[in-house]
Amino acid sequence: MTDQLGALTVIFTEFYYWVTVVLMFLIHVGFCMYEVGASRYKHHQHTLMKNTMVIPLVTVTWFFFGWWIYWAFPTGPGIAPSIMTESTALITDDSTFSAKWYLANSEFMAVNLGDHISGVFWAAFLLFSWTAASIVSGAIIERITTFAFGILAIAIGSFFWVIDAAWGWHFDGWMLKILGYHDAYASGVIHAIAGGFALGVLIVLGPRIGKFSSSGEPRNIGPRNPWLVTVGLFLIYTGFWGFYAACNIPIFDLGPEYGMEGVTYWTATNIYVTPTTLSGITYNFLMSLSGGLLAGYVVAKGDPFWTYSSGLAGIICASAGNDLYHPIQAMLIGAIGVVIAYKMHYWVERKFKIDDAVGAVAVHGYAGFAGLIICGFVLNGYPSSGYSVGAMWDGSTYASINPLGQFLGAIIMFGVLGMLPGYVLARILNAFGKLRIPRDVEIAGLDYEMMEDDRDAEKAVASSTR
Amino acid sequence: MATVTNWIDHLSAKEVVGAVYPGAGSSETLLVILGVVFWIGWHVITNKSESEKLARLARKRHGANDHKSNITDW
Repeated sequence: MTDQLGALTVIFTEFYYWVTVVLMFLIHVGFCMYEVGASRYKHHQHTLMKNTMVIPLVTVTWFFFGWWIYWAFPTGPGIAPSIMTESTALITDDSTFSAKWYLANSEFMAVNLGDHISGVFWAAFLLFSWTAASIVSGAIIERITTFAFGILAIAIGSFFWVIDAAWGWHFDGWMLKILGYHDAYASGVIHAIAGGFALGVLIVLGPRIGKFSSSGEPRNIGPRNPWLVTVGLFLIYTGFWGFYAACNIPIFDLGPEYGMEGVTYWTATNIYVTPTTLSGITYNFLMSLSGGLLAGYVVAKGDPFWTYSSGLAGIICASAGNDLYHPIQAMLIGAIGVVIAYKMHYWVERKFKIDDAVGAVAVHGYAGFAGLIICGFVLNGYPSSGYSVGAMWDGSTYASINPLGQFLGAIIMFGVLGMLPGYVLARILNAFGKLRIPRDVEIAGLDYEMMEDDRDAEKAVASSTR
Repeated sequence: MATVTNWIDHLSAKEVVGAVYPGAGSSETLLVILGVVFWIGWHVITNKSESEKLARLARKRHGANDHKSNITDW
């Protein structure tokens, strides 16, 4: 960097993403607290450790191959041509945004004086990956092996979610071009896919012992520490601020980017490089949170667990279009999403005997799915990209946002890349006897031995002080 | 191993080389192989120890409330 203004822009962008990463760490802290609060005493430590292991497992695999997938797969491959290479092949050429630079042995995946952005951008996406895996973690507490969860966490966190990000979140993604897909703050790209994946696993994993009576009536195994759940959810809200900021590009000149001769227009953009403002999305974040909390309080009759979860569901439902919505639209959409998620949770629980321990499928999956469809109606006709506007199914141009495209996108996110792989992987792990802990261990508690050791240690210390 | 031995020489070169970590340009692939072995090895080791622990605990057939006798005062 040799000119001061250019250097300031680069260093500002580097610092901006770094701050979002630190903020987003709170999402994981919140998920850990939330899960421990929702689990029973005899499973606490195992529950916490399982979710903690998301951090190293997803991080190293994200380094080895996850980040490469994001940059390689926008074309499908074989579905729509890249605007950079004009080919439908994997993007691995010498172009600026090629996956070639993000192979694990690339010199840009390290300290490099010529690259101030790759590492922080990699980390921002990595924190999204932790979130995807952590969403699944909550649903399956108290009965899954750590080994199985590790495999599933890597699958959703470093593979399946990043495929959908390449398809529907990358500025060159085929879903934007063919379907007009729009999902600015990841209703589907993270939440619907992770919720769907969790549902696929739950179908195979089965409920916790005692969750359903012999006649099939569900029993409430509610959170054992509602205050820990509450603080956990507040931390997730806090981290979500960072998530919203991380989904933006903080400063960008759209004039030359869009090929507009003589036009200079500096702005923040969303992930699709279309203009929005950090200020505007702050309105919408808070209003959709509020809509979710208000609706959750009513529909759950003041139940704290569901009311706090509903704040999150409200944001998730409005997130697909929160770059463009009016704040009151965001509030109402958040409220609608919560009602759908809450009703769906109990309907699926009764009908299919699915034991989603923390309501993760509802809060993330159903609310995210609904948010994508609502976005298709409310933002119908907006361009999905700034680069060109074309017809649906065309592929070489970008389709406008529309209800059908969003519905198909929701199916792809929740079903094709979420529920189906979750189900298949769980079936494979189950076939090897690696998915679920033994019945006697589930009854005794996963922490039994550790607690027993602590008791013996306490006795030893007590006897030595007599 | 050192990629940079004099910052003045390094930064005043006609074209500044960006990668400055030890072994730049020659060690990356080996490092990736070591990293992957470390990662896969972790799964192998922890899978074995977890299976042993679960089998040991299952054999003891504790009741649903037995853990309560293990709750410590500290």
